[in-house]
Amino acid sequence: MRTITTNCPGCCIACGLYLLEFSTPELPAGELKLSLAHRKLAPMNEGKLCKFGMHLPTFYGREPLPTLVDGAETEQEEAVSEAKARLERLKPDEIAFVALPSTITNEEIVSFVSGAKACGSANLCFGFEQIINALPEDARSVLINGLPFYEIEAASKIVLFLLDPYVHYPLLARRILKARENGAQVIDIAFAHNWRGIAAETVLIDPLDLGSVQELRDTVANSLIIGEVTPYTSLALISLLLRLAAETASQLFLLKPFANSTGALLLGSSGAERRGDLFEILDSIENGTIKGLYLLETDLSAVLSNAAAVKQTLSQLDVLIEQNAFRTQLSELAHVTLQSEPFYRKRGTILNIEGRLLALGGESTNGLRILEQLGSNRAFAEVHAAVKHVLGLEIAEPTEFEIAAPRIEAMVDVTTLPQVEEKPGALDGEQYVLWYKTNPFFWAGIRDKGFVEISPAAMQALGLFVGDALIEGEHEEKNGFKVVAVPEKLIVSEDPLWMHSRVQWRDVKKGGTVRKVLVKRA
Amino acid sequence: MEPRYYLAWATDEAIRARGANGGFVTALLVSALETDFIDLALVVMKKSVYEGVPVLTDDPELVKESAGSLHGVPWNLAKILLECAPDKRVGVPTKPCDARGIIELAKRRQITLDNVYLIGLNCGGTLHPLRMREVAAELYGLDPDTVQKEEITGGKLIFRYEDEGGATREKGLRIDELEQEGRGRRDACKTCTTKIPVMADLACGNWGVPKGEQKTFVEVLTEKGVAILENALNKGAIAVEDATEQGIALRTKIERAMQELAARWKDELDLLRDKSPSERLAFYTEQLQRCIHCGACRAVCPVCACDEDAKCLDLNDEQDAYAISLYNLLRILHLMDSCIHCGQCEEVCPVDIPLTLIQRRFSERMQAHLDYEPGMDVTETPPYQETKLRWPADAKTSAFEEA
Repeated sequence: MRTITTNCPGCCIACGLYLLEFSTPELPAGELKLSLAHRKLAPMNEGKLCKFGMHLPTFYGREPLPTLVDGAETEQEEAVSEAKARLERLKPDEIAFVALPSTITNEEIVSFVSGAKACGSANLCFGFEQIINALPEDARSVLINGLPFYEIEAASKIVLFLLDPYVHYPLLARRILKARENGAQVIDIAFAHNWRGIAAETVLIDPLDLGSVQELRDTVANSLIIGEVTPYTSLALISLLLRLAAETASQLFLLKPFANSTGALLLGSSGAERRGDLFEILDSIENGTIKGLYLLETDLSAVLSNAAAVKQTLSQLDVLIEQNAFRTQLSELAHVTLQSEPFYRKRGTILNIEGRLLALGGESTNGLRILEQLGSNRAFAEVHAAVKHVLGLEIAEPTEFEIAAPRIEAMVDVTTLPQVEEKPGALDGEQYVLWYKTNPFFWAGIRDKGFVEISPAAMQALGLFVGDALIEGEHEEKNGFKVVAVPEKLIVSEDPLWMHSRVQWRDVKKGGTVRKVLVKRA
Repeated sequence: MEPRYYLAWATDEAIRARGANGGFVTALLVSALETDFIDLALVVMKKSVYEGVPVLTDDPELVKESAGSLHGVPWNLAKILLECAPDKRVGVPTKPCDARGIIELAKRRQITLDNVYLIGLNCGGTLHPLRMREVAAELYGLDPDTVQKEEITGGKLIFRYEDEGGATREKGLRIDELEQEGRGRRDACKTCTTKIPVMADLACGNWGVPKGEQKTFVEVLTEKGVAILENALNKGAIAVEDATEQGIALRTKIERAMQELAARWKDELDLLRDKSPSERLAFYTEQLQRCIHCGACRAVCPVCACDEDAKCLDLNDEQDAYAISLYNLLRILHLMDSCIHCGQCEEVCPVDIPLTLIQRRFSERMQAHLDYEPGMDVTETPPYQETKLRWPADAKTSAFEEA
């Protein structure tokens, strides 16, 4: 039996845990079973894991991605050379590099950036570029800065902004509850009451009039505002939050869905140069200006739209390279596939949302080696030193008990924030507003729930009975429902793609937090 | 069999120096592996003063490395044994709650107890590792990373550390004082009255050992205990001598004192006892509605034997619209005869539901009605697996008779 100390890739908290690898009599020789155990010394989660964390042995049990060139099994060295050669045949601005940083180490991020630079491409995306590009440079640190959870527990006033900790970041919920126990005033600004109970006070806002939040300045004053930023988050929402925080002397803390979001923002995305954002890259692929894409441990089809829509777009590429530990829905489209190791086997570091530099317990640097072969051909130690240099840690090797990431002073001049109006829309007929609360399963490409929350009035209006299902999408996938106390025209889903009609990334980009959906009874 | 009492220690000087109380347990396991008496040993390997990881090994050298006690490592090894080695001959050093979990699993035909050697360890309780680190920093004024060793002795938690000049020093604070500040043992340990693992094959510890002697007080409880002890003796790995009447009495006295303390803690921590039914319901609702259905409580439960066939999982769905989910209700019901109150469920609950308190509220009363203490006697069938309920003869007669 081998015990591996590791971290969960499910969200930016990066909970600590052990994975146990062992053989059992029923397994063929050489095959190992994976189980997990709770690591109570981990300061970010104290051994506790959410449902996704508990699911990790299954997550790591997926089908490995073979190393292939044009569908034929190939030695890794040869496949990497082939990938490099195919990219070199394209012009620099015809190539894009995309990595949503769930399972990617800091060292891999530095290496990925080097690889993109070696190709001369500015189309390097870690998932937050659409916000970073639009924000003034002085305001970007608000997006990047983390916050140790002990500061949340010690806060005197917390405002949750459209954030349901139980769903979005389950290990955050207990910190909020601790803060309440410690006397903090907790206010939930939401579209509906949190039926699990998190705040002493809930302020309901109209999902079609987010701008009305500006009227809540007195409620929010001098607080710690906790919200979320994801690739789906609209610029309007972020501008609104930045403005609200600046005008109410509040601190803004934004959680992100990827384990190494902080690492990616500090090491990959924070440079002054403008980078192509995810949606621009997809548009450019569709209009033929981007011809080559390197996808690093990212399944766009699972997190951006329905698989068919993304597949259709990516099928236009001349060169699609996929580096991943596991097969994805896009693997069959890739011209070159490169097998990296699962996250728990990786050697390297990540930065969690608190700013803790976490050393992963694995030993493999294969994924890093592949990336280095595209660019600088450095050894692990050299890349790790580069990571530390950017973080200002020349000599020190901080432990998980220290906050290592620099907290950058934020200077938010509200007059420079983008003015993006989100026009209120009217609802009619069978239209409903969708409030999505993405959970770690969603970002891992797994649909965990299969039900949405609706109001009793909606149930009646839709003529639903217990046991009925709602249908969505071209394939008429069925969803259950749960009747809860939400406003009449609101549907709460953990899947932002849940809607009646086909979803393209453009809808996602334009839609921000609120979209209209049409449901019907199956 | 009638219990026998000895003082025992390792004959190997290196094991004696590294292991706790003369290294008896380490020597016993090492000799059992070396003589092929067992296939594997399940031990906890120290990574730091605050962290140990379970290791299932056939390597005697690894067992030697694992020697020594750790109080900040509150594992329950029952599920690990079940998952990793249900069919092997395994030697396991067990706290009472480990042994009780293993016995309950054996009763449910998950583990073949004939294959498992339960080397019981007396246990005054464990501390949460992170809380222990915090205590070292905040109450002892130490850099937690300089602490080299911890021990609980004479009612004190003692940290041995390296000072700035490189000299080894120690600091100790009374556990009861730490606990009055809410900083000591885990709540489940504070309230636990099973301090000596009398359900194991051997019960080992330092209670009853004359002061200053590096020996282990061993109570031999079963024929299996005799066999593994004789195996080590025949190999010359251990030396033994009879325990004195004085030592036996001292051990009993310490156990009783700790049980009395546990009873007091049980009263103090029973937040539900004096509440009205409606207040209790409000409490259950407020706490249990936070459940996010992660299933961690079931996964770590050392007495839950249903595995993939867990009936509670049929109801483990957030689509369930009740404030208190049916999953939680079924678990409360299902564990009423078997919960050993080890606190593992509460410790891994991501939303801090006080599951030990809630489960204790139901299961302690039910176990008293059934006159059944789970995990204590392998020959007793779990009442839920019997077809009759064994209500005590003086229990209140039925409503029909009263009428």
